[in-house]
Amino acid sequence: MLDARARARFTRNRSAVAGTAIVAALVVFALVGPLLASHGPLESDFAHGVGPDKMPVGPGAGFPLGADRIFRDVFARLAVAGRLSLLIAVSATLLATLIGAVVGIVAGYYEGKRVARVVSVDGIMMRAIDVLLAFPFLLLVMAIGAALDRTSAVTIFVILGVTGWMGTARVLRAKTMQVRSLDYVVASRALGQPAAGVMWKHVLPNVAGPLVVSATVLVAQMIVADSVLSYLGVGIAPPTPTWGRMLFEGQDYYAAAPWLVAAPGAVILLSVWGFNMLGEGLRDALDPHDA
Amino acid sequence: MRSILTTPDALAPALAIAAAALLAAPLGCDRALPSPTASSQGTEAAPQQGGTMHLATFGDLRGGLDPVGTVDGISLGAIHLIFAGLVDYDDHVRVVPELAERWDIDDGGRTYRFVLRTGVTMQDGTELTADDVKRSAERALHPSTPDPNASAFTNLAGYEAYAGGKAEHLAGVVVEGRYVVAFHLDKPDSTFPQLLAMHTLRPTCKTAGDRYSEAWLACGAGPFKLLPDGWQRGTTLRLVRHDGYFRPGRPYLDAVEWTFNMQALAQRVRFERGELDLARDLTGADERRFLADPRWKGLGAMGADKTIYGESMNTRMRPFDNVEIRRAVAAAIDRDHQVLVQPSRMSVLTQALPLMLQDDPSFAGQRYDYPAALEHMRKAGYPYDPATQTGGWPRPIEYLIYDQGLNVYTAQLVQQDLAKIGIHIFFKMLSWAAFLSIQQRANASPMSQGNWTLDYPDPSSIFDPLFTTAALAPEGSYNTAFYSNPRLDDLVARAHLEMDETARRALYREANAIVCDEAPWAFTYGHHTFEMRQAYVHGFAPHPVWPLDVSGVWLDRAGQALEHALGGPLP
Repeated sequence: MLDARARARFTRNRSAVAGTAIVAALVVFALVGPLLASHGPLESDFAHGVGPDKMPVGPGAGFPLGADRIFRDVFARLAVAGRLSLLIAVSATLLATLIGAVVGIVAGYYEGKRVARVVSVDGIMMRAIDVLLAFPFLLLVMAIGAALDRTSAVTIFVILGVTGWMGTARVLRAKTMQVRSLDYVVASRALGQPAAGVMWKHVLPNVAGPLVVSATVLVAQMIVADSVLSYLGVGIAPPTPTWGRMLFEGQDYYAAAPWLVAAPGAVILLSVWGFNMLGEGLRDALDPHDA
Repeated sequence: MRSILTTPDALAPALAIAAAALLAAPLGCDRALPSPTASSQGTEAAPQQGGTMHLATFGDLRGGLDPVGTVDGISLGAIHLIFAGLVDYDDHVRVVPELAERWDIDDGGRTYRFVLRTGVTMQDGTELTADDVKRSAERALHPSTPDPNASAFTNLAGYEAYAGGKAEHLAGVVVEGRYVVAFHLDKPDSTFPQLLAMHTLRPTCKTAGDRYSEAWLACGAGPFKLLPDGWQRGTTLRLVRHDGYFRPGRPYLDAVEWTFNMQALAQRVRFERGELDLARDLTGADERRFLADPRWKGLGAMGADKTIYGESMNTRMRPFDNVEIRRAVAAAIDRDHQVLVQPSRMSVLTQALPLMLQDDPSFAGQRYDYPAALEHMRKAGYPYDPATQTGGWPRPIEYLIYDQGLNVYTAQLVQQDLAKIGIHIFFKMLSWAAFLSIQQRANASPMSQGNWTLDYPDPSSIFDPLFTTAALAPEGSYNTAFYSNPRLDDLVARAHLEMDETARRALYREANAIVCDEAPWAFTYGHHTFEMRQAYVHGFAPHPVWPLDVSGVWLDRAGQALEHALGGPLP
């Protein structure tokens, strides 16, 4: 996807490289962190986690990022929460991208055309997107969560995926409208290739760049959305650690035990920042005219 | 979706805190507390009139301001200021005369006769008479009134006929003169004065009428009154001095003003700035900072330990229909660990009675004993081997929690403790309203956290609602363990009839031993309030029963006179 010139543009872009490094570091932290931690993420350590004033101990030996309110290792919890957050964000992004790509390409391909001279496929799809964008997201998520009785990682990723594809669809629709009028696409259609084949063989490869950029930025947005749900108490139930929940639990202690909000706050900020810089770097590398 | 993904408003404040903490953390910054706002005359000064006391809470007036039907703590504090009772609790939890000048007991404890003070002016300007007492009692106990406390008065003569709609009036409340009213009971009840000291039957103004109405503007004979625009729902409540209050010179304050739905963090910041006169919802970490600062010494006060917490196990659902499993749970929970969640407010609880009512230091109650817990699991038929981590109860058990306060943390500690005896629980997180609804429904939830605050300082306020057969109901059961034991019922009933205090205590001690042994609850910790006041707030001490009783408070803020003259706060 990245040819030599695009790769060169990407590597010259410092913020793109920084974003890549941050994302790579987060992935390594999430994968390796739990193996390095001296405590399990769910295990309270009353022998070493309690300070002399009965407060959780701060960062130090045994607790690299301090202990939380019930004396668990913040480092271990942060890393395990990272696995979960990244897994949910990437999975939800894949689902949203898949739905958004199908809707966007179909809508863009059929833009201006009416089935049986009456119904505009593009019009229906775009109005559906408008309706979905107008729907109160949190209400929807909480309603689904209540209906499902228990909220799990799968529930969250499905909810985020099926409610997060509209932006991608709009971008892809616009790009498809450009691509469909290119000579080789017109020629393919003139030679009688079915619409699905044209979209798969000719349109999709030509909108892959914007699709990847959109997906990368969407990962950052999914991380924020997942954290918001956990922060508001409608995410995954305790004791499973999530970044948003850790932030919520630490906020009352921010003056006395600042590590309780500093640690999850930092990883949320870094991950959002990292994925955004990576996405913008990819956009600049793939489409320098838009930069 | 767009709003949440592109503008994460809900998370923004927390991320701002995180950013601040990120900056502060490397510096080891724990910002020093400011000095308390000074008093102009010092602690020895005479009480002075005037000023508005500013209070805040993260909660709201969920129970409203009508003494009928209210149960939540915030409402209770405000109701106590608006409505005076025939009797009240003093600072030592003794029942003392209030609107009544005196009372006597007749007919072997079946009749309580009260002689009212003369010349008591209600907040609508009329004089309090015995007719008001009877009318208020009938209004509170009428079948059309949504009063969850009405069941406490079923012993009043004629209650059944009145509550059933078969009688026009409540026969047990008799007006014997303009200032004399008698309460007749079906059976002797030594707790009746305590029931009367509660809020439910406090006299209301004539504007309240004979029947409950949500539109009524709360009006009683207490030291503060509510004006028509005084309560902005969900935001503020302002009560102003009742100039006709029967105690001369009281209250000292011109007004009391609450702000609702204010987070603990905001309360602490506003208290430090001197914008709040008293802080009640400080976090444990903040409490420790105030207590450690010598400039704030003597300005913090602990309230009475009158709330109990425990793990409520539904005795009609598996596996808690097995008493050995319940005993195993009670022995497996390390209560010393539980109280570390907020040491300044929590105390280890090993029995049904809260700390303020415990009178037998030799009683062991439920104790953490891991080998005993494993033995109870074996006796239950579900032995667990900690070495191989095999055995125990074979299926995970649903545990209800609500996302407020400490219960999320203590529940996770319970989860860890129970896993060590082979009982695995998973959490179902609910709103407070949904939690209560399911917890109080028969056969709906096997396990949840139970908590109870004394309505009045007597063991009957624990045993009657939580553990007796009479308290069972298919919906809305306060007996959340759905526990029933005829022996316990008999002890509690006899304690009600017993007029000798020593004998009563002995009966309740036996009841306590039964509940601790059969463990419908695994008692875990008691809880008390902590209140930090400014140096210029005088005459305040946490009342053992009433939350935030400011009826005797006076303010002496440095610069107050100048502020008053300028018509606003000093820059």
